[in-house]
Amino acid sequence: MSAEVHPELASVVEEKIAAFVAEKTGTRPEVGQDLFATGVANSMFALELVVFLERTYAVTVAGADLQLPNFRTIGSMAALVGRLRAEAAADGDG
Amino acid sequence: MADGLATEHALVRRLVGDDAGAWDIAGAIPHDVLREAGAAGVLCAELPKEYGGLGVGSEANGEFTAYAGSLCSSLRSVMTSHGMAAWTIQRLGSRDQRAALLPQLASGRLAAVAFSEPAAGSDLGAMSTELRFVDDAVIVDGRKSWITAAAYADLLVVFGRTGDDAAAVVVPADTAGIHIERIPHPLGCRAAGHAHIQLDGVRLPASNVLGGPGQSLPFLVASALAYGRMSVAWGCVGILRACLGAVTGHARSRVQFGKPIAEHQLVSRLIAELFVAEQIATRACRHASECWDSGSPDLVVATLLAKHVGATQAMHGAASAVQVMASAGASDGHVVARAYRDAKLMEIIEGSSEICQLLLAKHALATRWEGP
Repeated sequence: MSAEVHPELASVVEEKIAAFVAEKTGTRPEVGQDLFATGVANSMFALELVVFLERTYAVTVAGADLQLPNFRTIGSMAALVGRLRAEAAADGDG
Repeated sequence: MADGLATEHALVRRLVGDDAGAWDIAGAIPHDVLREAGAAGVLCAELPKEYGGLGVGSEANGEFTAYAGSLCSSLRSVMTSHGMAAWTIQRLGSRDQRAALLPQLASGRLAAVAFSEPAAGSDLGAMSTELRFVDDAVIVDGRKSWITAAAYADLLVVFGRTGDDAAAVVVPADTAGIHIERIPHPLGCRAAGHAHIQLDGVRLPASNVLGGPGQSLPFLVASALAYGRMSVAWGCVGILRACLGAVTGHARSRVQFGKPIAEHQLVSRLIAELFVAEQIATRACRHASECWDSGSPDLVVATLLAKHVGATQAMHGAASAVQVMASAGASDGHVVARAYRDAKLMEIIEGSSEICQLLLAKHALATRWEGP
């Protein structure tokens, strides 16, 4: 399987993450908006985002991926999901 | 047990026997007891079976943790620290690190996690322990304080700074440059092996750093603490159940003014309050564990709530229990005397009640509420 993520798929992922953030915080962020710098997210909410991504996309965000920059924007989270799904598919255990 | 782990419940019952009071007074749990518990996998029951763990869910481990906590909060504290170490390695470690380290934690080697420092308690962001990378090695310098189970641990999971970022490193307790000093007389959980750790130029392979350098400290801490808070919360349920057992038995049999004290209304109110405390704490824990078991993002807030409710109710309930038992329970080592001291520590560790309140308030303020 190709490690490339289909562009439509990435936008669907972004939409779903944005909807989750909006549901939880009442704020609908832009794809490139820094959620932490703009006060939408804090470290507790960051952990909620981890669990949300793990459950929704059947991935594990662990080790070196558990970094704030990966959760800073809707776009960076979608990119993380894309990469983790591609890696899982390549490993054959996804 | 409906939740399973029947063998493990029986094992812990046998290991503790009638010794919890004596361990409290001696300030130590015998090493072979901890090794046997560790080798049976009960100190980190949620560890997946592929690593030699029992692979149970949060609620099953929670009920088990409450049971262990009802027998001996010191043993339960060791479970919390060891379990947090396993959880941290599982979350942060690479595939190779997980495969190398986790089976050890289910086969008798004991572990502890080290966050707090002399100047970094509630404010873990002020942590100053330093991890420096030199060629293929990492050199660790710093001081950790009040580390639960450190006096027993073979492996220490130490959190520190790597420049502007952070990382956790697995440190064998017998590495040169480590000095572990037991805290002589803790207020509560007296046999949990609380210790201060000094690390002076401790040199280890860089591969001991979990997941590599350059991680974010708030993330590391929040993730590791989430497991610990769940464990403490269920431990508080155990404290309350132990109090209920002691108090109801005593109130039925102790006669004053010509009748069992349970028939005196002011006493019976204390018993009702203790029962309510146990029920509230149980429900908060059960809800949080359900969130963990179903993978709900609500687990973050639910865990914090369970820890805060559990610790507060345990403190309140233990005070009522000592009041009902009076002189019968007012000696060190007695189940309600231990509960009273142990519960107070639960309001302090893994995020003090005040830190929990600050975080819960922040959550409430960030949430959109329905209403007029």
